[in-house]
Amino acid sequence: MEINWVTVSAQVVNFLILVWLLRHFLYQPVIRAMDRREQKIRNRMDEADSREQEAINEKHSYQEKLDRFEKEREDLLEETRQEARQTRSQMLDQAREETALVRSHWMREVSEEKTAFIDGLRQQSLDVVETIARKALLDLADERLEERIVHTFIRQLHSLDQATRKALGHSSEPAIIASAFELEPSLRGTLTRALHELTGAELTVNYTTAPELICGIELTCEGQRISWNLSDYLEELTASIEKAFEPLETGKAGA
Amino acid sequence: MTITPDSIIYWQWGGFALNATIVFTWLVMALLTLGSWLITRRLSEGPELSRWQNLLEVLVVGIRDQIAQVSHQQPGPYLPFVGTLFLFIAVANLLNVIPGYMAPTGSLSTTTALAICVFVAVPVFGIASKGPGAYLQHYIKPTPLMLPFNVIGEVSRTIALAVRLYGNIMSGTVIVAILLSLTPYFFPVVMQLLGLLTGMIQAYIFAILAMVYIASATSVHEHGEPDEPEHKTPSDQ
Repeated sequence: MEINWVTVSAQVVNFLILVWLLRHFLYQPVIRAMDRREQKIRNRMDEADSREQEAINEKHSYQEKLDRFEKEREDLLEETRQEARQTRSQMLDQAREETALVRSHWMREVSEEKTAFIDGLRQQSLDVVETIARKALLDLADERLEERIVHTFIRQLHSLDQATRKALGHSSEPAIIASAFELEPSLRGTLTRALHELTGAELTVNYTTAPELICGIELTCEGQRISWNLSDYLEELTASIEKAFEPLETGKAGA
Repeated sequence: MTITPDSIIYWQWGGFALNATIVFTWLVMALLTLGSWLITRRLSEGPELSRWQNLLEVLVVGIRDQIAQVSHQQPGPYLPFVGTLFLFIAVANLLNVIPGYMAPTGSLSTTTALAICVFVAVPVFGIASKGPGAYLQHYIKPTPLMLPFNVIGEVSRTIALAVRLYGNIMSGTVIVAILLSLTPYFFPVVMQLLGLLTGMIQAYIFAILAMVYIASATSVHEHGEPDEPEHKTPSDQ
Protein backbone atom coordinates (compact mmCIF):
# COMPACT_ATOMS: atom_id res chain seq x y z
CA MET A 1 0.00 0.00 0.00
CA GLU A 2 1.87 2.92 -1.27
CA ILE A 3 1.00 6.15 -2.94
CA ASN A 4 2.72 7.01 -6.20
CA TRP A 5 2.40 10.77 -6.19
CA VAL A 6 3.20 11.07 -9.86
CA THR A 7 0.31 8.76 -10.58
CA VAL A 8 -1.83 10.70 -8.12
CA SER A 9 -1.24 13.97 -9.92
CA ALA A 10 -1.79 12.25 -13.27
CA GLN A 11 -5.08 10.84 -11.98
CA VAL A 12 -6.14 14.25 -10.68
CA VAL A 13 -5.52 15.67 -14.12
CA ASN A 14 -7.28 12.71 -15.70
CA PHE A 15 -10.27 13.15 -13.46
CA LEU A 16 -10.54 16.85 -14.18
CA ILE A 17 -10.31 16.15 -17.90
CA LEU A 18 -13.02 13.53 -17.52
CA VAL A 19 -15.18 16.01 -15.67
CA TRP A 20 -14.78 18.48 -18.50
CA LEU A 21 -15.38 15.85 -21.17
CA LEU A 22 -18.49 14.45 -19.56
CA ARG A 23 -19.78 17.92 -18.90
CA HIS A 24 -19.32 18.69 -22.54
CA PHE A 25 -20.53 15.41 -24.02
CA LEU A 26 -22.97 14.08 -21.49
CA TYR A 27 -24.57 16.40 -18.98
CA GLN A 28 -25.05 19.51 -21.01
CA PRO A 29 -26.54 17.89 -24.12
CA VAL A 30 -28.74 15.55 -22.17
CA ILE A 31 -30.03 18.26 -19.85
CA ARG A 32 -30.51 20.62 -22.76
CA ALA A 33 -32.47 17.99 -24.64
CA MET A 34 -34.59 17.28 -21.61
CA ASP A 35 -35.20 20.96 -20.98
CA ARG A 36 -36.16 21.48 -24.59
CA ARG A 37 -38.49 18.53 -24.49
CA GLU A 38 -40.00 19.84 -21.30
CA GLN A 39 -40.36 23.23 -22.88
CA LYS A 40 -42.02 21.68 -25.89
CA ILE A 41 -44.38 19.73 -23.70
CA ARG A 42 -45.14 22.83 -21.68
CA ASN A 43 -45.75 24.77 -24.89
CA ARG A 44 -48.05 22.06 -26.09
CA MET A 45 -49.84 22.03 -22.79
CA ASP A 46 -50.15 25.80 -22.91
CA GLU A 47 -51.40 25.57 -26.45
CA ALA A 48 -53.83 22.87 -25.46
CA ASP A 49 -54.96 24.99 -22.52
CA SER A 50 -55.46 28.01 -24.69
CA ARG A 51 -57.27 25.92 -27.26
CA GLU A 52 -59.43 24.44 -24.57
CA GLN A 53 -60.17 27.91 -23.30
CA GLU A 54 -61.00 28.95 -26.83
CA ALA A 55 -63.22 25.95 -27.23
CA ILE A 56 -64.95 26.74 -23.96
CA ASN A 57 -65.46 30.32 -25.04
CA GLU A 58 -66.77 29.18 -28.37
CA LYS A 59 -69.04 26.73 -26.66
CA HIS A 60 -70.32 29.49 -24.42
CA SER A 61 -70.96 31.73 -27.37
CA TYR A 62 -72.75 28.95 -29.22
CA GLN A 63 -74.74 28.23 -26.11
CA GLU A 64 -75.72 31.85 -25.93
CA LYS A 65 -76.68 31.85 -29.59
CA LEU A 66 -78.70 28.72 -29.08
CA ASP A 67 -80.45 30.23 -26.11
CA ARG A 68 -81.24 33.32 -28.12
CA PHE A 69 -82.58 31.26 -30.99
CA GLU A 70 -84.64 29.27 -28.58
CA LYS A 71 -86.07 32.41 -27.09
CA GLU A 72 -86.80 33.92 -30.48
CA ARG A 73 -88.48 30.72 -31.54
CA GLU A 74 -90.51 30.74 -28.36
CA ASP A 75 -91.54 34.34 -28.96
CA LEU A 76 -92.48 33.62 -32.54
CA LEU A 77 -94.45 30.60 -31.49
CA GLU A 78 -96.23 32.60 -28.83
CA GLU A 79 -97.01 35.30 -31.37
CA THR A 80 -98.30 32.75 -33.83
CA ARG A 81 -100.39 31.15 -31.13
CA GLN A 82 -101.82 34.52 -30.25
CA GLU A 83 -102.61 35.20 -33.87
CA ALA A 84 -104.15 31.78 -34.26
CA ARG A 85 -106.29 32.36 -31.20
CA GLN A 86 -107.40 35.72 -32.55
CA THR A 87 -108.13 34.33 -35.99
CA ARG A 88 -110.00 31.44 -34.44
CA SER A 89 -112.18 33.70 -32.34
CA GLN A 90 -112.74 35.95 -35.34
CA MET A 91 -113.69 33.03 -37.50
CA LEU A 92 -115.91 31.68 -34.77
CA ASP A 93 -117.65 35.02 -34.48
CA GLN A 94 -118.03 35.20 -38.22
CA ALA A 95 -119.35 31.67 -38.35
CA ARG A 96 -121.73 32.43 -35.55
CA GLU A 97 -122.97 35.52 -37.36
CA GLU A 98 -123.35 33.62 -40.59
CA THR A 99 -125.15 30.84 -38.81
CA ALA A 100 -127.43 33.33 -37.13
CA LEU A 101 -128.05 34.98 -40.49
CA VAL A 102 -128.78 31.67 -42.16
CA ARG A 103 -130.90 30.62 -39.25
CA SER A 104 -132.93 33.80 -39.24
CA HIS A 105 -133.24 33.57 -43.00
CA TRP A 106 -134.35 29.99 -42.65
CA MET A 107 -136.72 30.89 -39.82
CA ARG A 108 -138.21 33.58 -41.94
CA GLU A 109 -138.60 31.16 -44.81
CA VAL A 110 -140.10 28.63 -42.50
CA SER A 111 -142.48 31.16 -41.03
CA GLU A 112 -143.37 32.38 -44.50
CA GLU A 113 -143.92 28.85 -45.63
CA LYS A 114 -145.97 28.23 -42.55
CA THR A 115 -148.00 31.33 -43.09
CA ALA A 116 -148.53 30.33 -46.69
CA PHE A 117 -149.44 26.84 -45.60
CA ILE A 118 -151.83 28.13 -42.95
CA ASP A 119 -153.32 30.53 -45.44
CA GLY A 120 -153.76 27.71 -47.88
CA LEU A 121 -155.16 25.52 -45.18
CA ARG A 122 -157.55 28.21 -44.06
CA GLN A 123 -158.61 28.88 -47.61
CA GLN A 124 -158.99 25.22 -48.29
CA SER A 125 -160.97 24.57 -45.10
CA LEU A 126 -163.12 27.56 -45.86
CA ASP A 127 -163.70 26.25 -49.30
CA VAL A 128 -164.45 22.80 -47.99
CA VAL A 129 -166.78 24.07 -45.29
CA GLU A 130 -168.41 26.39 -47.73
CA THR A 131 -168.77 23.67 -50.31
CA ILE A 132 -170.20 21.28 -47.76
CA ALA A 133 -172.56 23.93 -46.41
CA ARG A 134 -173.60 24.98 -49.89
CA LYS A 135 -174.10 21.38 -50.88
CA ALA A 136 -176.06 20.59 -47.76
CA LEU A 137 -178.21 23.72 -48.04
CA LEU A 138 -178.74 23.18 -51.76
CA ASP A 139 -179.82 19.66 -51.00
CA LEU A 140 -182.12 20.89 -48.24
CA ALA A 141 -183.50 23.93 -50.08
CA ASP A 142 -187.15 23.86 -51.01
CA GLU A 143 -190.26 26.11 -50.82
CA ARG A 144 -190.53 25.82 -47.09
CA LEU A 145 -186.98 26.89 -46.62
CA GLU A 146 -187.48 29.80 -48.99
CA GLU A 147 -190.46 30.85 -47.07
CA ARG A 148 -188.54 30.66 -43.82
CA ILE A 149 -185.81 32.73 -45.39
CA VAL A 150 -188.19 35.37 -46.67
CA HIS A 151 -189.79 35.60 -43.24
CA THR A 152 -186.48 35.90 -41.55
CA PHE A 153 -185.57 38.65 -44.04
CA ILE A 154 -188.77 40.50 -43.36
CA ARG A 155 -187.99 40.29 -39.60
CA GLN A 156 -184.63 41.75 -40.32
CA LEU A 157 -186.16 44.56 -42.34
CA HIS A 158 -188.37 45.38 -39.38
CA SER A 159 -185.36 45.77 -37.16
CA LEU A 160 -184.01 48.52 -39.45
CA ASP A 161 -183.79 52.02 -37.87
CA GLN A 162 -185.95 54.96 -38.89
CA ALA A 163 -183.30 56.76 -40.99
CA THR A 164 -182.73 53.76 -43.16
CA ARG A 165 -186.40 53.23 -43.61
CA LYS A 166 -186.82 56.85 -44.75
CA ALA A 167 -183.88 56.63 -47.09
CA LEU A 168 -185.39 53.54 -48.63
CA GLY A 169 -188.76 55.29 -48.93
CA HIS A 170 -187.34 58.34 -50.75
CA SER A 171 -185.51 56.21 -53.27
CA SER A 172 -186.27 57.08 -56.89
CA GLU A 173 -184.79 53.92 -58.30
CA PRO A 174 -186.48 50.62 -58.02
CA ALA A 175 -185.33 48.32 -55.24
CA ILE A 176 -183.74 45.08 -56.37
CA ILE A 177 -184.26 41.93 -54.42
CA ALA A 178 -181.86 39.18 -55.33
CA SER A 179 -182.30 35.62 -54.19
CA ALA A 180 -180.45 32.40 -54.76
CA PHE A 181 -183.40 30.85 -56.55
CA GLU A 182 -186.56 32.02 -58.18
CA LEU A 183 -189.07 33.30 -55.58
CA GLU A 184 -192.68 32.22 -55.90
CA PRO A 185 -195.18 35.02 -56.73
CA SER A 186 -196.89 34.73 -53.32
CA LEU A 187 -193.63 35.16 -51.54
CA ARG A 188 -192.82 38.07 -53.84
CA GLY A 189 -196.15 39.70 -52.94
CA THR A 190 -195.48 39.24 -49.24
CA LEU A 191 -192.06 40.77 -49.62
CA THR A 192 -193.33 43.73 -51.65
CA ARG A 193 -196.08 44.37 -49.14
CA ALA A 194 -193.73 44.25 -46.26
CA LEU A 195 -191.43 46.71 -47.97
CA HIS A 196 -194.33 49.10 -48.71
CA GLU A 197 -195.39 48.94 -45.08
CA LEU A 198 -191.94 49.47 -43.84
CA THR A 199 -191.02 52.43 -45.98
CA GLY A 200 -194.52 53.96 -46.31
CA ALA A 201 -193.93 54.39 -50.07
CA GLU A 202 -194.88 52.57 -53.25
CA LEU A 203 -191.48 51.18 -54.11
CA THR A 204 -190.99 49.36 -57.33
CA VAL A 205 -189.38 46.05 -56.59
CA ASN A 206 -187.49 44.00 -59.19
CA TYR A 207 -186.70 40.38 -58.49
CA THR A 208 -183.51 38.67 -59.70
CA THR A 209 -181.71 35.46 -58.90
CA ALA A 210 -178.13 35.27 -57.61
CA PRO A 211 -176.93 31.72 -56.89
CA GLU A 212 -173.80 32.94 -55.08
CA LEU A 213 -175.98 34.08 -52.18
CA ILE A 214 -176.40 30.48 -51.03
CA CYS A 215 -179.97 30.28 -50.10
CA GLY A 216 -179.93 33.93 -49.12
CA ILE A 217 -181.80 37.03 -50.06
CA GLU A 218 -180.59 40.57 -50.64
CA LEU A 219 -182.17 44.00 -51.01
CA THR A 220 -180.20 46.64 -52.85
CA CYS A 221 -181.64 50.16 -53.05
CA GLU A 222 -180.22 53.73 -52.98
CA GLY A 223 -176.72 52.44 -52.27
CA GLN A 224 -178.13 50.50 -49.28
CA ARG A 225 -177.79 46.79 -49.03
CA ILE A 226 -179.69 44.65 -46.66
CA SER A 227 -179.21 40.97 -46.88
CA TRP A 228 -179.59 37.70 -45.14
CA ASN A 229 -177.79 34.74 -46.44
CA LEU A 230 -175.57 31.88 -45.43
CA SER A 231 -172.51 33.77 -46.66
CA ASP A 232 -172.62 35.88 -43.53
CA TYR A 233 -172.61 32.78 -41.37
CA LEU A 234 -169.84 31.36 -43.47
CA GLU A 235 -167.91 34.59 -43.01
CA GLU A 236 -168.33 34.17 -39.27
CA LEU A 237 -167.21 30.55 -39.57
CA THR A 238 -164.15 31.66 -41.48
CA ALA A 239 -163.40 34.24 -38.84
CA SER A 240 -163.69 31.66 -36.10
CA ILE A 241 -161.46 29.21 -38.02
CA GLU A 242 -158.86 31.93 -38.48
CA LYS A 243 -159.07 32.64 -34.79
CA ALA A 244 -158.47 28.99 -34.12
CA PHE A 245 -155.29 29.10 -36.27
CA GLU A 246 -153.95 32.22 -34.63
CA PRO A 247 -152.34 30.60 -31.52
CA LEU A 248 -150.72 28.05 -33.86
CA GLU A 249 -149.13 30.85 -35.89
CA THR A 250 -148.00 32.93 -32.96
CA GLY A 251 -146.68 29.84 -31.16
CA LYS A 252 -144.59 28.77 -34.20
CA ALA A 253 -143.32 32.29 -34.77
CA GLY A 254 -142.21 32.57 -31.14
CA ALA A 255 -140.35 29.24 -31.25
CA MET B 1 0.28 -11.47 -7.39
CA THR B 2 0.01 -7.77 -7.75
CA ILE B 3 -2.00 -5.85 -5.25
CA THR B 4 -1.96 -2.49 -6.98
CA PRO B 5 -2.03 -1.69 -10.71
CA ASP B 6 0.51 1.04 -9.98
CA SER B 7 3.25 -1.53 -9.95
CA ILE B 8 2.57 -2.65 -13.52
CA ILE B 9 4.56 -0.27 -15.65
CA TYR B 10 4.26 -0.32 -19.40
CA TRP B 11 6.54 2.55 -20.29
CA GLN B 12 9.00 4.67 -18.39
CA TRP B 13 10.05 8.15 -19.37
CA GLY B 14 12.25 9.89 -16.83
CA GLY B 15 10.32 10.25 -13.58
CA PHE B 16 7.00 9.46 -15.28
CA ALA B 17 5.96 5.86 -15.34
CA LEU B 18 3.01 4.89 -17.53
CA ASN B 19 1.50 2.27 -15.27
CA ALA B 20 -1.66 0.15 -15.51
CA THR B 21 -3.62 2.60 -13.32
CA ILE B 22 -3.25 5.43 -15.80
CA VAL B 23 -3.79 3.23 -18.81
CA PHE B 24 -7.02 1.73 -17.47
CA THR B 25 -8.13 5.15 -16.32
CA TRP B 26 -7.72 6.34 -19.87
CA LEU B 27 -9.63 3.31 -21.05
CA VAL B 28 -12.52 4.14 -18.75
CA MET B 29 -12.35 7.80 -19.75
CA ALA B 30 -12.35 6.89 -23.42
CA LEU B 31 -15.26 4.55 -22.95
CA LEU B 32 -17.33 7.12 -21.09
CA THR B 33 -16.52 9.96 -23.45
CA LEU B 34 -16.98 7.93 -26.61
CA GLY B 35 -20.21 6.44 -25.36
CA SER B 36 -21.60 9.82 -24.37
CA TRP B 37 -20.52 11.40 -27.60
CA LEU B 38 -22.02 8.64 -29.71
CA ILE B 39 -25.33 8.89 -27.92
CA THR B 40 -25.59 12.64 -27.44
CA ARG B 41 -24.56 13.25 -31.03
CA ARG B 42 -28.11 12.51 -32.11
CA LEU B 43 -30.32 13.60 -29.29
CA SER B 44 -34.03 13.68 -29.77
CA GLU B 45 -35.99 16.55 -28.28
CA GLY B 46 -39.38 15.13 -29.09
CA PRO B 47 -41.32 12.45 -27.31
CA GLU B 48 -39.57 9.64 -29.23
CA LEU B 49 -36.36 8.49 -27.55
CA SER B 50 -33.64 6.06 -28.44
CA ARG B 51 -32.93 3.45 -25.79
CA TRP B 52 -29.44 4.77 -25.17
CA GLN B 53 -30.67 8.30 -24.81
CA ASN B 54 -33.28 7.05 -22.42
CA LEU B 55 -30.57 5.30 -20.39
CA LEU B 56 -28.48 8.46 -20.25
CA GLU B 57 -31.46 10.56 -19.27
CA VAL B 58 -32.39 8.14 -16.52
CA LEU B 59 -28.80 8.28 -15.27
CA VAL B 60 -28.57 12.05 -15.37
CA VAL B 61 -32.00 12.57 -13.84
CA GLY B 62 -31.21 9.99 -11.15
CA ILE B 63 -27.96 11.71 -10.24
CA ARG B 64 -29.66 15.11 -10.23
CA ASP B 65 -32.41 13.87 -7.98
CA GLN B 66 -29.88 12.35 -5.58
CA ILE B 67 -27.92 15.60 -5.44
CA ALA B 68 -31.07 17.61 -4.88
CA GLN B 69 -32.18 15.24 -2.14
CA VAL B 70 -28.88 15.37 -0.29
CA SER B 71 -28.08 19.06 -0.72
CA HIS B 72 -31.58 20.58 -0.80
CA GLN B 73 -30.19 22.85 -3.49
CA GLN B 74 -30.33 23.19 -7.22
CA PRO B 75 -28.21 20.28 -8.57
CA GLY B 76 -26.95 22.27 -11.57
CA PRO B 77 -23.49 23.39 -10.41
CA TYR B 78 -22.61 20.10 -8.67
CA LEU B 79 -23.82 17.72 -11.33
CA PRO B 80 -20.64 17.53 -13.47
CA PHE B 81 -18.34 16.98 -10.50
CA VAL B 82 -20.44 14.56 -8.43
CA GLY B 83 -21.89 12.82 -11.46
CA THR B 84 -18.48 12.23 -12.94
CA LEU B 85 -17.23 10.86 -9.61
CA PHE B 86 -20.07 8.34 -9.61
CA LEU B 87 -19.86 7.40 -13.26
CA PHE B 88 -16.09 7.07 -13.27
CA ILE B 89 -15.96 4.87 -10.16
CA ALA B 90 -18.99 2.83 -11.22
CA VAL B 91 -17.64 2.11 -14.69
CA ALA B 92 -14.14 1.49 -13.43
CA ASN B 93 -15.53 -1.06 -10.97
CA LEU B 94 -17.98 -2.62 -13.43
CA LEU B 95 -15.24 -3.36 -15.93
CA ASN B 96 -13.75 -5.71 -13.32
CA VAL B 97 -15.72 -8.50 -14.99
CA ILE B 98 -13.37 -8.30 -17.96
CA PRO B 99 -10.45 -10.64 -17.51
CA GLY B 100 -7.10 -8.91 -17.50
CA TYR B 101 -8.67 -5.62 -16.48
CA MET B 102 -7.52 -4.07 -13.24
CA ALA B 103 -9.74 -1.44 -11.73
CA PRO B 104 -7.91 1.88 -11.39
CA THR B 105 -9.94 2.43 -8.24
CA GLY B 106 -8.03 -0.46 -6.73
CA SER B 107 -4.99 1.78 -6.63
CA LEU B 108 -4.57 4.01 -3.63
CA SER B 109 -3.12 6.65 -5.96
CA THR B 110 -6.39 6.93 -7.88
CA THR B 111 -8.57 7.02 -4.80
CA THR B 112 -6.24 9.55 -3.25
CA ALA B 113 -6.46 11.66 -6.35
CA LEU B 114 -10.26 11.56 -6.23
CA ALA B 115 -10.25 12.33 -2.52
CA ILE B 116 -7.95 15.25 -3.10
CA CYS B 117 -10.32 16.51 -5.77
CA VAL B 118 -13.15 16.35 -3.26
CA PHE B 119 -10.96 17.96 -0.64
CA VAL B 120 -10.32 20.89 -2.96
CA ALA B 121 -13.84 21.00 -4.38
CA VAL B 122 -15.45 21.48 -0.97
CA PRO B 123 -13.91 24.90 -0.25
CA VAL B 124 -14.13 25.90 -3.91
CA PHE B 125 -17.88 25.30 -3.99
CA GLY B 126 -18.26 26.77 -0.51
CA ILE B 127 -16.47 29.98 -1.41
CA ALA B 128 -18.27 30.20 -4.76
CA SER B 129 -21.56 29.86 -2.95
CA LYS B 130 -21.00 32.16 0.06
CA GLY B 131 -17.88 34.17 -0.50
CA PRO B 132 -14.50 33.50 1.17
CA GLY B 133 -15.25 35.28 4.49
CA ALA B 134 -18.45 33.52 5.24
CA TYR B 135 -16.99 30.20 4.17
CA LEU B 136 -13.87 30.47 6.34
CA GLN B 137 -15.97 31.55 9.31
CA HIS B 138 -17.55 28.13 9.58
CA TYR B 139 -14.15 26.72 10.68
CA ILE B 140 -14.37 28.76 13.89
CA LYS B 141 -17.91 27.81 14.70
CA PRO B 142 -19.37 27.34 17.24
CA THR B 143 -16.14 28.77 18.89
CA PRO B 144 -12.65 29.48 17.59
CA LEU B 145 -11.54 26.72 19.91
CA MET B 146 -13.01 24.27 17.41
CA LEU B 147 -10.76 25.45 14.56
CA PRO B 148 -8.14 22.66 14.88
CA PHE B 149 -10.81 20.01 15.19
CA ASN B 150 -12.62 21.31 12.15
CA VAL B 151 -9.40 21.25 10.13
CA ILE B 152 -8.51 17.77 11.36
CA GLY B 153 -12.05 16.61 10.51
CA GLU B 154 -11.70 18.03 7.03
CA VAL B 155 -8.43 16.21 6.40
CA SER B 156 -9.37 12.95 8.07
CA ARG B 157 -12.59 12.53 6.16
CA THR B 158 -10.67 13.02 2.95
CA ILE B 159 -8.25 10.29 3.92
CA ALA B 160 -11.16 8.08 4.95
CA LEU B 161 -12.77 8.69 1.60
CA ALA B 162 -9.66 7.59 -0.27
CA VAL B 163 -8.90 4.58 1.91
CA ARG B 164 -12.51 3.32 1.97
CA LEU B 165 -12.76 3.09 -1.78
CA TYR B 166 -9.27 1.73 -2.24
CA GLY B 167 -9.72 -0.85 0.52
CA ASN B 168 -13.03 -2.11 -0.80
CA ILE B 169 -11.96 -2.48 -4.40
CA MET B 170 -8.52 -3.73 -3.67
CA SER B 171 -9.84 -6.26 -1.18
CA GLY B 172 -12.33 -7.50 -3.71
CA THR B 173 -9.59 -8.02 -6.27
CA VAL B 174 -7.29 -9.62 -3.76
CA ILE B 175 -9.97 -11.93 -2.36
CA VAL B 176 -10.84 -13.12 -5.83
CA ALA B 177 -7.17 -13.71 -6.56
CA ILE B 178 -6.73 -15.65 -3.36
CA LEU B 179 -9.91 -17.65 -3.87
CA LEU B 180 -8.85 -18.51 -7.39
CA SER B 181 -5.79 -20.24 -5.98
CA LEU B 182 -7.75 -21.98 -3.24
CA THR B 183 -11.15 -22.87 -4.71
CA PRO B 184 -11.20 -22.39 -8.46
CA TYR B 185 -14.15 -22.66 -10.88
CA PHE B 186 -17.23 -21.62 -8.99
CA PHE B 187 -16.73 -19.72 -5.80
CA PRO B 188 -14.64 -16.87 -7.25
CA VAL B 189 -17.48 -16.11 -9.63
CA VAL B 190 -19.80 -15.52 -6.71
CA MET B 191 -17.20 -13.33 -5.11
CA GLN B 192 -16.79 -11.52 -8.40
CA LEU B 193 -20.52 -10.81 -8.44
CA LEU B 194 -20.29 -9.63 -4.88
CA GLY B 195 -17.38 -7.46 -5.98
CA LEU B 196 -19.55 -5.88 -8.65
CA LEU B 197 -22.20 -5.08 -6.08
CA THR B 198 -19.57 -3.69 -3.73
CA GLY B 199 -18.12 -1.64 -6.57
CA MET B 200 -21.49 -0.07 -7.35
CA ILE B 201 -22.19 0.61 -3.70
CA GLN B 202 -18.77 2.19 -3.28
CA ALA B 203 -19.32 4.42 -6.27
CA TYR B 204 -22.63 5.53 -4.79
CA ILE B 205 -21.12 6.05 -1.32
CA PHE B 206 -18.18 8.03 -2.64
CA ALA B 207 -20.34 10.33 -4.74
CA ILE B 208 -22.94 10.82 -2.01
CA LEU B 209 -20.32 11.54 0.64
CA ALA B 210 -18.64 14.05 -1.64
CA MET B 211 -22.00 15.70 -2.14
CA VAL B 212 -22.67 15.72 1.58
CA TYR B 213 -19.35 17.44 2.23
CA ILE B 214 -19.96 20.00 -0.46
CA ALA B 215 -23.53 20.54 0.74
CA SER B 216 -22.34 21.09 4.30
CA ALA B 217 -19.96 23.74 2.99
CA THR B 218 -22.54 25.50 0.83
CA SER B 219 -25.76 25.09 2.75
CA VAL B 220 -24.53 27.04 5.80
CA HIS B 221 -25.56 30.12 3.90
CA GLU B 222 -29.17 29.05 3.67
CA HIS B 223 -29.38 27.84 7.28
CA GLY B 224 -27.62 30.97 8.59
CA GLU B 225 -30.07 33.34 6.93
CA PRO B 226 -31.92 34.51 10.07
CA ASP B 227 -28.54 35.63 11.57
CA GLU B 228 -27.65 37.78 8.60
CA PRO B 229 -27.81 41.51 9.44
CA GLU B 230 -29.26 42.48 6.04
CA HIS B 231 -32.48 40.54 6.66
CA LYS B 232 -34.39 42.59 9.18
CA THR B 233 -37.90 42.88 7.81
CA PRO B 234 -40.40 40.90 9.84
CA SER B 235 -42.09 39.60 6.75
CA ASP B 236 -38.93 37.70 5.84
CA GLN B 237 -38.63 36.03 9.21
